[in-house]
Amino acid sequence: MRCSDEGRRGGVKELRDLARQLLADGTVDVVVGWEDSSRGARPIFAGTPEEADKLIFDTRCLHNLATYLNPRRKQVTDLGKLALVIKGCDAKAVAGLLREMQLDRERVVLIGVRCGGVCEDSMAPEPVALTPETVAPRCHGCDNREPHLVDHLLGEPRPEPPVPLLTLDERVAALDALTPAQLWEYWTAQFEKCVRCYACRQVCPMCVCERCVADKSRPQWIETASHPRGNFSWNVTRALHLAGRCVGCGECERFCPAGIPLAVLNRKLQRVVKERYDYRVADDPEVKTPIGDYRLDDQQEFIK
Amino acid sequence: MTEPLFLSHEALADLVAGLIAAGTAVIGPAPAGGPVIPGLEERQRPTVTGMYGTLEYREVRSADDLALGPGMPRLSLKQFFLPQNEALFAWKRRGAETEIHETPTTFNPRVVLGAKPCDVAALEIVDAVMNWEYHDELWNGRRAATTIFALACGVEDDHCFCPSVGVAPDTTKGADGLFTPVSGGFLVEATTDKGRVFLESYGAHFSAPPAGGTDEARAYREAAHGRVGANVQIDAVRVKDWIEHHFEDPFWATLGVRCNGCGACTMVCPTCHCFDIVDEEEGVGCGTRRRCWDTCQAGKFTLHASNHNPRADQIARYRQRINHKFAVYPVKFDEVLCTGCGRCVRTCQMGQNIGEILVAIDQYAQQTGEAPDTTDVAAPPAEVAP
Repeated sequence: MRCSDEGRRGGVKELRDLARQLLADGTVDVVVGWEDSSRGARPIFAGTPEEADKLIFDTRCLHNLATYLNPRRKQVTDLGKLALVIKGCDAKAVAGLLREMQLDRERVVLIGVRCGGVCEDSMAPEPVALTPETVAPRCHGCDNREPHLVDHLLGEPRPEPPVPLLTLDERVAALDALTPAQLWEYWTAQFEKCVRCYACRQVCPMCVCERCVADKSRPQWIETASHPRGNFSWNVTRALHLAGRCVGCGECERFCPAGIPLAVLNRKLQRVVKERYDYRVADDPEVKTPIGDYRLDDQQEFIK
Repeated sequence: MTEPLFLSHEALADLVAGLIAAGTAVIGPAPAGGPVIPGLEERQRPTVTGMYGTLEYREVRSADDLALGPGMPRLSLKQFFLPQNEALFAWKRRGAETEIHETPTTFNPRVVLGAKPCDVAALEIVDAVMNWEYHDELWNGRRAATTIFALACGVEDDHCFCPSVGVAPDTTKGADGLFTPVSGGFLVEATTDKGRVFLESYGAHFSAPPAGGTDEARAYREAAHGRVGANVQIDAVRVKDWIEHHFEDPFWATLGVRCNGCGACTMVCPTCHCFDIVDEEEGVGCGTRRRCWDTCQAGKFTLHASNHNPRADQIARYRQRINHKFAVYPVKFDEVLCTGCGRCVRTCQMGQNIGEILVAIDQYAQQTGEAPDTTDVAAPPAEVAP
């Protein structure tokens, strides 16, 4: 496959060389990265040197592949030892899995790629030039364009991506300006669209529970029917369980077949956690999260 | 099929207004609504190649709402026959007595105008299972109350593959009639008694086709056939035969590995019809039994009370999806459980492409031959064979 100038800057040749080497010397059984396909960029599980030659990295590679590290994904754990290609933002999810003891660091070789931002259209037939119209809003203000935690770091340092037309923070601010009644109306109408497929949960790299509360039927904490009551219950529970854990990759919103703006909800919770606990999700597994830590000076005025 | 009649755009507006005034709900493709953040232009889903979602099927208030052109509604028409969730009955205990309030199984008349032929054909395919061992009164009640005119499709994109599964962009399967777009309106044909009665009842809105109208309609439909034919070329019978005899083939492991098991493909699918039945308590001694859409892509779908799961991973669940659609259902009902609408392909953000997978199976079947392989579950393993 042709390797474009853009691809060389992104380290695609290095990536393929490294993947071939890791597979050939038996360091790993499979390299998980991205390939070009009939549906644009998509995940590939390369198990042979020939398949390693299909690996790409460009602005369409927005999937957070850390979701494949979920220890309960049997079809992936069955493959043996993995090498996983990650961007800086994906490293936060890997750190989260390590922090929550869901991942054995020895089980995976992490190949980091320096990132200059991604677009929102993984399905474009060719790499997309980043403009305010095309750049993923989550790339705005990114503090992890060079992934940490990795065993190999590829690609040249990339320039900052352009500022998106509408940032997530602007959307949060617009909602913050609403009255509680308007806010209730807005989210109720959004959640009414939910078809309860749980795509948001399935793709989330941090949704790794052995048994999700939504799947429990005795007692039935969350009604499975897609009526407003059940939908509100599910969506609020999902969001709250990810407060202080969500890495902001936006995969939940991208996968939602109903078009619910979940990334805005997640960003709002990130901001609340930042304001109350001065915590921002980091790519350091040693940093304790608000939910996994107790401090005597934690704000607790809400306990009455 | 009846001789085509002409329905101008103006006459369509009058027809819809008349139906609604008479208390008949009119359902059709319409621009998707949704809440907007005041003060900000709502940022809808980003523009994604081959993605869709600007339309939805809904009950319209007038013909102005209808979008009878290109564009595929996000969800299929099935939600109007098998709602995402519906009450089967409600119960209330009074002392030793339990009152049961059953959901009525007769429905007010409805008309669907301009649905995608692939979505309408799906209803007839699902009719088979809804009238197999159990006669589903809610499904059949809604089917009986609904008159459906499909809209001949101009083909959406490269992911449409209806001819590969025995459907066509202008099929009338499952429909009572067909609209074909022509200059100034539509040519309308009825294909069932229900459709003929409808055209007679509202005859005042229809007129003889304008000069050249029939030729224009034929050219439109032929062009659509030409456009969609090359998208996915498979032999559906060969695919079925291979799937039937290769349940344990290692090839499956290559097909499902990237799948997240999110089930979005099954939610948007016009033919997926699996549901789960739950009792929801809504107070002391009262509640509602509901059925809700379910998906074979979820682990919980086959989880036994013993905690054993016969479909332990996504490879097995993905195989199930393909197996049910392209082998189990054809064997049992002589129909492929797929109409080639391509929604699952457009929806999957991980890039699973059912068209590509069917082609891969068809090619693999040709390479490996028609004979069942040694891993066939139907054949006993050699070491235990007598």
